[in-house]
Amino acid sequence: MAKKLITANGPGIYRFIGVDFNVGSLKNAGRRYWAFVALLGIIITVGIVAWGTALAQGGSVMAMRDNYPWGLWFTNYMYYVGLSAGGLIVYASVHLFGAEQFKPLSRLAVLQAGVLVMLALLGIITDMERPWRAIYMLLTPNGSSPFVYTGSAANIYMAICFVDLWVLITGYGGKKLAHRMTLIALPFAIYLHTTTAFVLSLNKSRELWNSAVMVPIFLTSATASGIALLLICAYIMQSLGVFKFAASMFRSLSTLLATVIIIDLFLLLVEIMTVFWPTSAKPGHAARLAHFFTGEYAWAFIPVLILGISAFALLAGRKTRHLPAIQLTASAMYVVAIFLKRYSLMSMGFSTNPLGQYSSPYFPSLVEALIALGLLAVGLLIMTLSAKVLPLQVPEDDEEPSASAAAAPVAEAG
Amino acid sequence: MTEQKRPETAEKTAPEGLTLSRRSFLEGLGATAGILAAGTVPALLSAGAGAATAAEPSLSEDPLASIIEENNAVNYPGKPVKYAKAAGKQKWAMVIDVKACIGCRRCVYACVEENNIGRNSGFTYIQVLEMEPGRIDLEHSELHYAEGGNPNKWYLPVQCMQCAKPTCVYGCPVIATWKEPDGIVVIDYDKCIACRNCMVTCPYDARHFNWVEPEVPKEERNPDVPVEEKAGVVEKCTFCIQRTRNGQTTACVEACPVGARKFGDLNDPESEVSIILKTRRVWRLKEETGNEPMIWYVG
Repeated sequence: MAKKLITANGPGIYRFIGVDFNVGSLKNAGRRYWAFVALLGIIITVGIVAWGTALAQGGSVMAMRDNYPWGLWFTNYMYYVGLSAGGLIVYASVHLFGAEQFKPLSRLAVLQAGVLVMLALLGIITDMERPWRAIYMLLTPNGSSPFVYTGSAANIYMAICFVDLWVLITGYGGKKLAHRMTLIALPFAIYLHTTTAFVLSLNKSRELWNSAVMVPIFLTSATASGIALLLICAYIMQSLGVFKFAASMFRSLSTLLATVIIIDLFLLLVEIMTVFWPTSAKPGHAARLAHFFTGEYAWAFIPVLILGISAFALLAGRKTRHLPAIQLTASAMYVVAIFLKRYSLMSMGFSTNPLGQYSSPYFPSLVEALIALGLLAVGLLIMTLSAKVLPLQVPEDDEEPSASAAAAPVAEAG
Repeated sequence: MTEQKRPETAEKTAPEGLTLSRRSFLEGLGATAGILAAGTVPALLSAGAGAATAAEPSLSEDPLASIIEENNAVNYPGKPVKYAKAAGKQKWAMVIDVKACIGCRRCVYACVEENNIGRNSGFTYIQVLEMEPGRIDLEHSELHYAEGGNPNKWYLPVQCMQCAKPTCVYGCPVIATWKEPDGIVVIDYDKCIACRNCMVTCPYDARHFNWVEPEVPKEERNPDVPVEEKAGVVEKCTFCIQRTRNGQTTACVEACPVGARKFGDLNDPESEVSIILKTRRVWRLKEETGNEPMIWYVG
């Protein structure tokens, strides 16, 4: 059985479940590649040691306390889940809206989406004091807890991403199955981000979170940061010589990015206005949000607005927006801005507790930071190995027939 | 219709010598006026109807009935509580007189000792807030006020309210916390996955996580309450479930030097809490959240 499962398919290429794993290409990889892999290995090892420390000594090694019951792991959960959206939305637009210029990105986008959601879920597991109790989520789920929905959605979404990647690589089921998978995956991506926002917004105990606009803000932030990360990834892959993309693809991506950024900023400003406007300002809300403009959290929140507006301005400039350097800068700025936004959002719920007691900002402890870095390294390692081993490049011959076929599903849907 | 019930209450509680006769008179007047306004029952008949209902008091006519009816078990798995007897027929409630409270924190200390709260844990079930005069404004309150209290401030003790609509129970993803039939919200330490969502959803900051292994000196331990099991899980006030289900009162009520705390059964019309709720004007903290807390404030 094992012999049939893995078959050699040329020098160094092994076929497993229909996918050609080009293990041989690792032999040709340069010293810099292996040095990077070794570095990631070291970071992962340190992360595992840090996780062991946390398991052995309990929450005392974390910086989280009663006033900050959730910390870096939750910031990262929101962040990774958000980043994974962009990839999927770009990929989905290929199949659903016939945006052919994104076609070469499809496999990379789905892989990135799957790996990022995996990191988000691993973040929860590494935060739990007794990870084995996670089984109760399956045994006795509570229908009124938003955690149940976001947790199950993330798991199913991750499975969809990896199955989707397999379908894309093997071509199993042809265009039809790929199209159907997208029809499932896209609404699920939106569902996942909605439920993640619900974890915050469905709390009447936390005034600044308890707003319906939290859901669209999550969706736009997620899409913007995801597209920005995909753009950066595509540039890196291209500079490494793994991929070749048309300039028009980058132009389309950055136009899309600028559009989503401005919607994202608009929603945020509308929410801020509602909190501070004299006829709507509630004392608890205004006092809580004031810490993020003039208080100890200004360093985290003010840059969100500055970086966001600057990134939009860079992408809006007609004469410069086609330059790769400008696109990369704007993307990097927004990826950072969204991380700071997630951190601020998390802190907005916690900095002033339900009894009105303010506590100084939360900063992750060394153990928390090392666990998070270790997880990030796991993600990077998977991406690094996949870039060499997995057939992520969409074959040229595959592109030709799909160009004509792409119109068909759209017509079908119409 | 509610107006019709009111004079009956007043008559029922009058023998206790607690009700002001003027108040019941006024309420009686109000009821009559209401019936007159409705124009369905002749004024002469209304007095007779009132007397008839007063003669046969039943639970459905208890003015606290709507509160008691709402205070039901939520997500109750029927599992016995490890460190206490099974729930009885009572519906537990507490009333705190903020006019009497002097902010001495004796209830806090008594609670720490009774419930084996880790001396290193950095939290207490009861949090007494020092409030500014003239406002019920939590943003201007002070939790870490100087010992002894300030006569120019007033004090608001806050703890788990054993809400009738407990957001913590709704928010727990694995049903590791539930509301018992007698209204006490309990936590299953063997099931809690430490996601801390209940702490996030609680509007009263009543739940606390054991970030460190709780340490209680051997000689100070209360054998009726667990210690080691609380490491890495959430805990909170349980109305001293180990005492109250044995017919005792809570440790905080016992410790209060000014008698500001009253604890009792809402199902018992003679209990102190029932009488206060029926005769005094009371308020609840953060009523707007709709959690229906089972701790009332008076004064």
